[in-house]
Amino acid sequence: MNTPVAGDSCPLQRYTHSTVQLFRFSAVSWNSHRIHYDSGFAASEGFPDVVVQSTLHGETLTRYALAWAGPNSRLETVSWRNRTTAVAGEPLTWTATVRAVEGARVSLDVAVVKADGTPCVTGSVELALV
Amino acid sequence: MSALDEVLARAHRLVGRWEDEDCGTVTVKDFCRYAAALNDADYIRRAREQDAAGAPVDAPALFLAATMSWEDGPPEGELRPDGLAARESPCTEGLPVRQVHGGQSVRLLRAPVAGSRVTASRAVISAERKQGRSGPFVLLGLATRFTTADGTELTAVDETIVVQEALDPAGAA
Repeated sequence: MNTPVAGDSCPLQRYTHSTVQLFRFSAVSWNSHRIHYDSGFAASEGFPDVVVQSTLHGETLTRYALAWAGPNSRLETVSWRNRTTAVAGEPLTWTATVRAVEGARVSLDVAVVKADGTPCVTGSVELALV
Repeated sequence: MSALDEVLARAHRLVGRWEDEDCGTVTVKDFCRYAAALNDADYIRRAREQDAAGAPVDAPALFLAATMSWEDGPPEGELRPDGLAARESPCTEGLPVRQVHGGQSVRLLRAPVAGSRVTASRAVISAERKQGRSGPFVLLGLATRFTTADGTELTAVDETIVVQEALDPAGAA
């Protein structure tokens, strides 16, 4: 990574979450909410398939930011707001823009967006470069 | 009184009442299984090498924040119809409502190390009735503070839960 400057855009990251990953993430986080692994139940609540966990979005926001910043970076804070749900198998894109650089601290505006550009989650990540 | 009115009334009675939960002693296996669910093979390799060398092993950054419950149970028969346990669903037990996460803010103060005993302190901190594009909802604000046995703060989580009327009230409660 070159020295970041406010306004820099990070390279986009494209990915999907599989149904297996959603099940395993629910299992390991002891989250038995059926919208995450029972497609019939998810449909009864108005969702087209099993729903990506909010905390899995948080992981995605964070992990791509840390990967972009490199091995000498450390997460300080992450916050996000869920705007609309994403479901298993849906193509998603991680986007990030450098909001501020203050000494060894970098703040990013981050989002996960759907194929049509609709944001699923928007938020911010603050990293310390150590 | 509507289901959302009841959620709001219950929440207002709980605001500011902190409860502690013993999360137990976190282990390298806990961390590695969490990393596996994120397809993070590098973390697993590094953690196992550190553990074999007798070095401290830090948890993945959001391990504490992402874990929804530290309880042993409950068994399936005690879950709500939506799969949530009563404790994971404050203020909504038995009501015809549905809920999703609104958002979360996580502040990392110190990484939990394998072998540490962790306590989670939780409280409802706010409850508001709102009007959205798809109708009325209640926005619950929850706070969780994770600490070690000596009181060192590890992770601070503030989150919101969106509670709406059930699409099928007859089958939701």
